[in-house]
Amino acid sequence: MSDLGGLIRKEFGRIRSDKRSLVLLFAIPIILIVVLGLTAGGTTTFFNASIISKDSIECSGEFPDNTSSEYAYSFMSIVKNNCTAFGLKTNYTATDESSFQNAKSECSNLLKSEVIDIYIILPENFSEVVEASKNGSINIYITYYIDGSDMTAVQAAEVALMEPLAFFRMQAGLLENMTQVIPYTEFDVPSWKTQILNYALPMMLPLIILGLDMNLTSLSIVSEGPLPRMLLTPTGRREIVLSKLISYSAVMFLQVTEVFTAIAIFDLYCLGSLFDFYLVLLVTGFCGVTMGLFISAISTTEQVANQIYLMMFIVLVMFSGFMPAELLPPWMGVFIDILPLGHSMELLSNIALKGLGIDEFHLSVVLGIAILFLAIAYIAYALKTKLKKLEV
Amino acid sequence: MATKNSELSSSEIKISVKHLNVGFPLGEKQIIKDVSFDVKKGEINGFLGISGAGKTTIIRVLTCQIPKKNWEGEVTVAKISPEKKSNHRELLSKIGYVPQLENLNLYYDLTPMVNVEIFASNYGIDKDIAVKKAQDLLSILDVPEDTWYNKTRSLSGGEKKRLSFAIGMINDPDILFLDEPTTGVDAAKRYDVLSYLKKINRNTGTTMMIITHDLEAAHICDTVAILRAGKLLEYGDPKGLISSLPSQGQIARLTIEDLDRNKINKVRDFAPVKKVMRSGNEILEVFMEDFDINLSKLVEYCIHNDIKIISLSRDEATFRRYFQIRIKEEEEREQRFEQGGGH
Repeated sequence: MSDLGGLIRKEFGRIRSDKRSLVLLFAIPIILIVVLGLTAGGTTTFFNASIISKDSIECSGEFPDNTSSEYAYSFMSIVKNNCTAFGLKTNYTATDESSFQNAKSECSNLLKSEVIDIYIILPENFSEVVEASKNGSINIYITYYIDGSDMTAVQAAEVALMEPLAFFRMQAGLLENMTQVIPYTEFDVPSWKTQILNYALPMMLPLIILGLDMNLTSLSIVSEGPLPRMLLTPTGRREIVLSKLISYSAVMFLQVTEVFTAIAIFDLYCLGSLFDFYLVLLVTGFCGVTMGLFISAISTTEQVANQIYLMMFIVLVMFSGFMPAELLPPWMGVFIDILPLGHSMELLSNIALKGLGIDEFHLSVVLGIAILFLAIAYIAYALKTKLKKLEV
Repeated sequence: MATKNSELSSSEIKISVKHLNVGFPLGEKQIIKDVSFDVKKGEINGFLGISGAGKTTIIRVLTCQIPKKNWEGEVTVAKISPEKKSNHRELLSKIGYVPQLENLNLYYDLTPMVNVEIFASNYGIDKDIAVKKAQDLLSILDVPEDTWYNKTRSLSGGEKKRLSFAIGMINDPDILFLDEPTTGVDAAKRYDVLSYLKKINRNTGTTMMIITHDLEAAHICDTVAILRAGKLLEYGDPKGLISSLPSQGQIARLTIEDLDRNKINKVRDFAPVKKVMRSGNEILEVFMEDFDINLSKLVEYCIHNDIKIISLSRDEATFRRYFQIRIKEEEEREQRFEQGGGH
């Protein structure tokens, strides 16, 4: 009997009047995309290095040249001239303990002040061991120091060090019985594309879209004073929840479309289908809408809704894959599987960077979570308005 | 309690309540105790009582807000029983409801016209018809036309109240329920609010049921009910109830020098006196039999008993006075009941 269109018009009127939320909803993703899009930087794949050689064979010149027979200088020369991942900033020859400590202290200061990203220490018997290795397999221990607070750099350094070592082995003739693995990043964003934007978006977009839509919707029921009064008309609970779902989903649709247009303008690198990318964003946003409805339905006041929102958002971020599942206790890792963000991020990364299609499993999980929250929201709202005295 | 207005034909009755009991749970914590009454078509009916009397509970039963497990009795509203859940939608389509506070009825960030349209859409009323009805109602209620398309937030308190009435009337309800319509309205404007209700009633013939503790509302009511602790004490038209007082509610208002308890008891001892009420520091209101004959005798009695009358006036009881008397009688009756060990 009641006209759903009227309820939807009312919802749009309410959303339109909430200017602050609208600014948040539509401006924040754009600000983020603009900032990331205009940031030209790349990941930490180039290392400014210092090398301290403790090799006891003295060097005659100021800097090693390729004619030198000492392997330490060969290694330094390779780092300086042949590597794409390394550049040699300073080098030291430290054959006694005191000069070694001085060199190390200086390198530590350079590392702290971010002049260099890594310093490498070659052992005292470096040349002798390399020479001896030609007749057998003797291990050489090369130590390096790196800023441990930069986790991505730590991981990248392990891979990057393969390069000078490979060149050094070739030059020193240490290739017998050896298989040299040269790393190649298969799903890399091309260097002419904005790397930060393209790497960050699959991670950040689901977080932002789901978070903002959840935030907007989380007050939709609890903040509406006349809603209990609506139930004294022929309008039913189902129509009320449905009208909110339609209206807020429509706003979410506009937001996702705006975001999608913005990332297209900033030349999103997407190996897969753009439509798939867009579809995943929509499903993620829909999940945010239903989770927001759930919060609003179970909350008694706006303050409670805000607190539940914050709590849920923190849990969602924590279990979005930000902390790898293998590092968590098994029971805690389950949360990554049953919460939507990890699945959305996986979907977007696979589409954009690997060129894969939509993984039906991940998409079904996100959609399933959305529907589950919607069902709970409806039941919670029905129970709340049934059991609790209507305060009209 | 016997059903009042039992002589009415059922076609004229818009609300019929027989032996209503409400409890949470039923049978244990009784909020409403054996209440029966009928409201005729086109009447304004006022349910009056102090807070906690059970007024809101009755209206909640009538508007399908209390599940059947919590109440028993025969109840029909616009000939539909709220007993069955399947009836609720139809029943709610035939009534209007104006809550106590406007923020429970109005979207302040939307315009008055949009507010009315939204509620009209809940009844399936076409937008164009809703706009026309909204214009008519807002005009009847003197909501200035230049405010119709501004935000509701900018309306004055009285305008918001009237807009709330318009929303309650948007579906041409058989019965309009109003919960404390004068709450939050200053004393000077209360009469205006009540006048608007009377105006709607006169213009549209809508049956109204008002629950209020504002006794001024009785002025516009065709019938009133006095409720106390879940029991219906009286039901009838206000003038009829007032005239049930001794000498049809005529009062001798005496201003007595150094009025104290002894002097009050002395006046009470005068045989024709039926009720004595202190009103203010030195004023005594006296109800007695055969008022015209006994008034001069009362004066002589006072002089004889050294009670110095400073002034004397003759007045008629208001409904407020009737209400006070009736509530006080009930309190005294209960007191006697308790002192007698409940017998």
